[in-house]
Amino acid sequence: MTKLVQGVRKYGLLAAAACAASGAMITHARLPAASPTLEGPVKVAARRVTESQYRNIIADTFGDWVQVNARFEPERRQDGLLAIGSTQLSITPVGFEQYYGAARSISDQVLSEGRRATTVPCTPRDAEQADDACAATFLRSYGERLFRRPLTEAQIDARLATARKGEDFYDGLELALTSLLIAPEFLFRIEVAEPDPSGAARLDGFTKASRIAFLMWDTGPDAELLAAAKSGALDTPEGLQRQVARLQASPRLADGVRAFFTDMLQLDAFEGLTKDASIYPKFSQTVADSAREETLRTVVDQLVTRNRDYRDLFVTRETWLNRSLAAVYKVPFVSQEEWAPYTFPEESGRSGLLTQVTFLSLFSHPGSSSPTKRGVKLYEIFFAQPTPDPPADVDFSKVQASSEGTVRMRLIEHMTNEGCAACHSVSDPVGLALEHFDSLGQVRMLEDGKPIDVSAVLNGKQVSGAQGVGQFMRDNPRVPATLVRNIYYYGVGRGFDERDETFFEQEAQAFAAAGYKVPALFGQIATSPYFMKVVIPSGAKPVPARPEQVATRHSADSRRGAAR
Amino acid sequence: MKTLRFDRRSIMRGVLRGGAAVALGIPTLDMFLDGNGAALANGRPMPVRFGTYFWGLGLTDTPQGTRWVPTKTGHGYEITPELESIRALKDKVSVFSGFRAIGDGKPNLVHWSGLAAIASGSAPGATNTMDSPSFDTIVADAIGQSTRFRSLDMSASGKPLSNSTYTGKAFATPEVSPLALYERLFGDGFQDPNNPDWKPDSRVMLRQSVLSAVKDQRDALAADVGKADRIKLDQYYTSVREMEKQLALQLEKPEYNAACLIPEKPEADKRGASIEVVNENSKTMARLLAMALVCNQTRVFNFVHTAGASETYLAGDSKIYHQYSHDEPTDAKLGYQINTSRLAGAVMQGFGDFLTELDAVEEGDRTVLDNSIIMAYSDTGYAKIHSLENIPMLLAGGAGGRHKAGQHIHTTGEPVTRVSLTAMQLAGAPVGEFGMGAMKTSSAVTEVLA
Amino acid sequence: MIGRRPIAVLTAALSGIAAGGVLAEPAGAPETVGWTRTYVIEWYEPAMYYGADGGVISPGTDCPGGTHPSPDWVKVLMDAGYTREEAEWLRNPANPTRSAVHGQPGMAFRGKDRANVYDFPATATEAGLTPVSGTIARGLDLDDDPQTGFTSPDGGKGVDNNFYKALGCWKTYRGPPRMSSGAQGQNDGMREGAWTIVVVVSGSGADPMNDENVEVGFFHSRDKIVRDAMGNVARDYTFRIKPHERQEAIFRGETRDGVITARGVGNVVLRNPGADPELPLLGSRLELEMAPDGRLTGLIGGYRPWLPVYKGWIAGRGAVIEVLTWVEMPDVWYALRRYADYSPSGPGGEKSYISFALTVDAIPAFVMEPDGARQVARVKSYRVQAAPAAQRTDAAIARAHTHLTGGNVE
Repeated sequence: MTKLVQGVRKYGLLAAAACAASGAMITHARLPAASPTLEGPVKVAARRVTESQYRNIIADTFGDWVQVNARFEPERRQDGLLAIGSTQLSITPVGFEQYYGAARSISDQVLSEGRRATTVPCTPRDAEQADDACAATFLRSYGERLFRRPLTEAQIDARLATARKGEDFYDGLELALTSLLIAPEFLFRIEVAEPDPSGAARLDGFTKASRIAFLMWDTGPDAELLAAAKSGALDTPEGLQRQVARLQASPRLADGVRAFFTDMLQLDAFEGLTKDASIYPKFSQTVADSAREETLRTVVDQLVTRNRDYRDLFVTRETWLNRSLAAVYKVPFVSQEEWAPYTFPEESGRSGLLTQVTFLSLFSHPGSSSPTKRGVKLYEIFFAQPTPDPPADVDFSKVQASSEGTVRMRLIEHMTNEGCAACHSVSDPVGLALEHFDSLGQVRMLEDGKPIDVSAVLNGKQVSGAQGVGQFMRDNPRVPATLVRNIYYYGVGRGFDERDETFFEQEAQAFAAAGYKVPALFGQIATSPYFMKVVIPSGAKPVPARPEQVATRHSADSRRGAAR
Repeated sequence: MKTLRFDRRSIMRGVLRGGAAVALGIPTLDMFLDGNGAALANGRPMPVRFGTYFWGLGLTDTPQGTRWVPTKTGHGYEITPELESIRALKDKVSVFSGFRAIGDGKPNLVHWSGLAAIASGSAPGATNTMDSPSFDTIVADAIGQSTRFRSLDMSASGKPLSNSTYTGKAFATPEVSPLALYERLFGDGFQDPNNPDWKPDSRVMLRQSVLSAVKDQRDALAADVGKADRIKLDQYYTSVREMEKQLALQLEKPEYNAACLIPEKPEADKRGASIEVVNENSKTMARLLAMALVCNQTRVFNFVHTAGASETYLAGDSKIYHQYSHDEPTDAKLGYQINTSRLAGAVMQGFGDFLTELDAVEEGDRTVLDNSIIMAYSDTGYAKIHSLENIPMLLAGGAGGRHKAGQHIHTTGEPVTRVSLTAMQLAGAPVGEFGMGAMKTSSAVTEVLA
Repeated sequence: MIGRRPIAVLTAALSGIAAGGVLAEPAGAPETVGWTRTYVIEWYEPAMYYGADGGVISPGTDCPGGTHPSPDWVKVLMDAGYTREEAEWLRNPANPTRSAVHGQPGMAFRGKDRANVYDFPATATEAGLTPVSGTIARGLDLDDDPQTGFTSPDGGKGVDNNFYKALGCWKTYRGPPRMSSGAQGQNDGMREGAWTIVVVVSGSGADPMNDENVEVGFFHSRDKIVRDAMGNVARDYTFRIKPHERQEAIFRGETRDGVITARGVGNVVLRNPGADPELPLLGSRLELEMAPDGRLTGLIGGYRPWLPVYKGWIAGRGAVIEVLTWVEMPDVWYALRRYADYSPSGPGGEKSYISFALTVDAIPAFVMEPDGARQVARVKSYRVQAAPAAQRTDAAIARAHTHLTGGNVE
């Protein structure tokens, strides 16, 4: 059971003992240590931007008419989140080829003859020749949006050298822009800590701006946020609060919420999801894409548009459908629009997120449902409680069941077998209660002609079917507590640390007190000092600051003057 | 064939580092004189290609008997039921049985420890990580430097699976669709060696300058980062260098190569995890790969047929392979799991088809398969119990004459790393030792070395 | 972005009508309807009986000589007065007359005095399209006379289907169900979205399987058929009725043990799965079974005007059809005229109609009122809601034909 104990320790308080036969649980969370001191700026993290962040930054910087045609490298999940696992990822040669191709294509579009008049903020003296002044203006203005901070003179000079090699001004500019778009400063979120006036480490203003922008809007900081970073406003609680409130009130909060739930609900699993065509002929790529969209629309509609209680996500019968999904759910599609709201009738047996095609089909086999898979994922996603792999030496001969009978009969063997029971007795009951839904999420009451028993005992309480599971989730305080934890780690991009527990407890209480409103929770976490906590990575030490770290407005102006 | 420049430094380094009795790839006089397929028209030897081929869930080896381990050892082993698919090519394939992954006290991370032991030489502490680089990267460093791609990664089951890693944390991104593989190999950037009108593209030099601006900033960027971030940035700059190399190659006229024919573009991708679809994708990818090797696009490849906990299935069957492997009772009379063994045979059909495609393309008197060494391996021995013993491994291809193929090698509990080391040496990588702890070995399986 | 429309509570209005399922009586509904089942046609074709064991052109009890063989076109042209040299020139693929774009206009002028035989089939000498000589046919007893017509495959008497008699050995129609080139071409067009026909069945009783008061309606839908992963038409999709000025058919009758028998009411016009897109039927009736697996299958029969059938085929590209389907077009005209068996003006009038049947396969679907706001609750006519339809001209037929077959009738 070594792995089991590991799992529990790793996930700390929230990984309650349900799965842990050993019952080990850490309850004594320590307070975080005081901020370290610094002598100069230091880079504390380099996190690869995600696909959606990349796309959003490009659209924000140049306009949403720019086509981004690239295949992004897969991300990696750790402690339940891609945002944590992907902090360890870099860019492989294959990935770089893709970024490089995308960069060339974007530069080509931005500086095409039809666009350059609006995209380039100045006119070169002679379009046949390089023009450092105009090129620098261009690079400075777009570079700041792409790098999420002002470019250093060295960064600009390197691109000016590239630009001079072009066949003419715009060709050179295109090369220089391509170079910005493949730069690590664009492709990675490079987070910087600096000493505050007392010498204590704090995240610098641009890092703060990026953290809140990526968390709340899933994109880089806009001009106003960058200005707030530059002016030092973000270094004051009031200034930070003002910006967070602005982001929270914006419709773009929906983008941030979408991106977060795409990660937490593991919607990336749709990539490569297949179903056996002869058993589930209705499944198609269209259905898969629609199911993903159904879930995200439901989440945004319930949590952002209507500011509902997060917990109701597990019991609501309201959802969003298009024509394909309506056919899968076997209900009429009543709208002239592409998407329409729909409320399942009570007798449908459906109950919130867990009974959408997304959850039911993602965590199933291609040709059959899997109560174990569903149970394991339910605890992993909504309780941050991972299930260890089965022990390698488990004696499967004891659980050899005939192929006859229902899944329940086979799984009961697991639950009564000593080596399996610790985990299967947690994952399986909840999964078995969802058995009225097949591998595509369609209702079925029979299996091999026999009625399916969907009763289960969860936390000592007898429940029946998906609606029972939904209510169990609705009432379980660990479900909203896990959301708090996940939003925090998603935002800071660090793995689980048991020292964070006290913070989570406080935040979970505040979330509850405010009625479990998710937009407010995003704001609450973003403004918490804990969110901007500095963790100096091992091996990082400041280098002495050089005189010209950041191109100031003054030096930019003087350069332009000199070029004239 | 200009891609065949010898990297003398790496060869020398190899000699200094290991000094093992390895064929280092230095052309011998014989080879220069050979005009019949063991050498190129210009007298330089056919390059040996190295590949890995992974499939999930091992093969069936029950206490009551076995469905794959031949009884006869050495040359002329008999074809067992689950090896049926290699029957026609068995003289080009060596079978290794009885080797095991040794955990050194580490937990058996199911469907991971076994493959990680074979690929990286030690059982890692956590799933989806390895404690050292995978063996294909060592080979790629040695023999993959002069081609357009240092290595090529493919996955046939629609999921981006790869066991290839430089850092142990970030794994290669494989091509998952035949169509995308085709585009990558023969689309934009492909230099047709038989194009009489070849001339260097002046734009390529400009593209190089785009990279130099990025490289200029490296020191400033990396100066004050932590250890983990430094590794990430190093990987990033490695990727930048790879791109530079690709661009540099585009400025050199490729040598005439009559055997290099741009293959037919595959039809629209088939999605699906059923074994029929996976095997069809394997076959198509192998067809493209064979020509990529002939056309010198790469000398190293990694191919993943199915995942460790394999989700493939027979179309129309509601149970996936992984589920069968654990659920299905052992047939009392036959002594094995009937459906599981049937699936194992179907999965191995993918390997047979893969090799057949490589053997179908001729280079002089030999085939691409003869000039390659492909190590096929799985994650477990007997999958029902996640056994780390007797993990099936096969070495296919002649390694340009270095591999005494067609043998069955059986041991009782020797470390799997011996086979990995053998494969690397057959590929010409200057490696004398491989593995850590109880799996550290410097003894290759000499029976198969010519 | 997310719409801000509040979620309407729709379930109350909708409770009841499942696709192909039984309708529970909606609470407070003024028009009491016992039950409603709704479907979409996934395949329909002229009812043919194939009397051979295998193949699609083999000899069988229906056509002992097998499918009517390909004419020797050089001989056909020489019989029409061309010299061998001229005939071979006309048949030579290298010559412009065979251009895929222009068809083979030269082939048309083989009537008396070089008349265009497609436009004036009577100017051609009849070579003879082999008629069906078997005694078994699929279809319905249209004249309530068991003495006339064929025997059905399961022994029923009086099956009236002279369309089959006339054209059943023609390559276009001959073959097992779903196998003839004509059926495949037309249904492919439908399945690829060229048109959609929904079926509404409603009854007033409590037991849909046995109900004395049942109506069946066939309507166009604006929504396209969706194919599933196996290439079949997917069940349970939603379709909005698209009112059509003419093409609509309503039948009234009863169900016994799940089999609906009903007769056409008023003006029965279906969307024809043929080169001629419109199928008016006189004396129409149907026999459809509501199968336990949810499907609706069976036959619709009636007398159809035969001249548009011929015009439908020649309006596309007569010469291409001749070559590809092994027939001289005038023979189709002669055959239809010969076997025409119904006169709308009474027994003494001109027999301008021919007995005919369609086999129909429909699957459960949700069918909505034209505005998409509600499921249909009962069978009723939508003709008055229709925008005026295009006049039914030969040009329109030609357009439909080319669109449906892409010019390829095979």
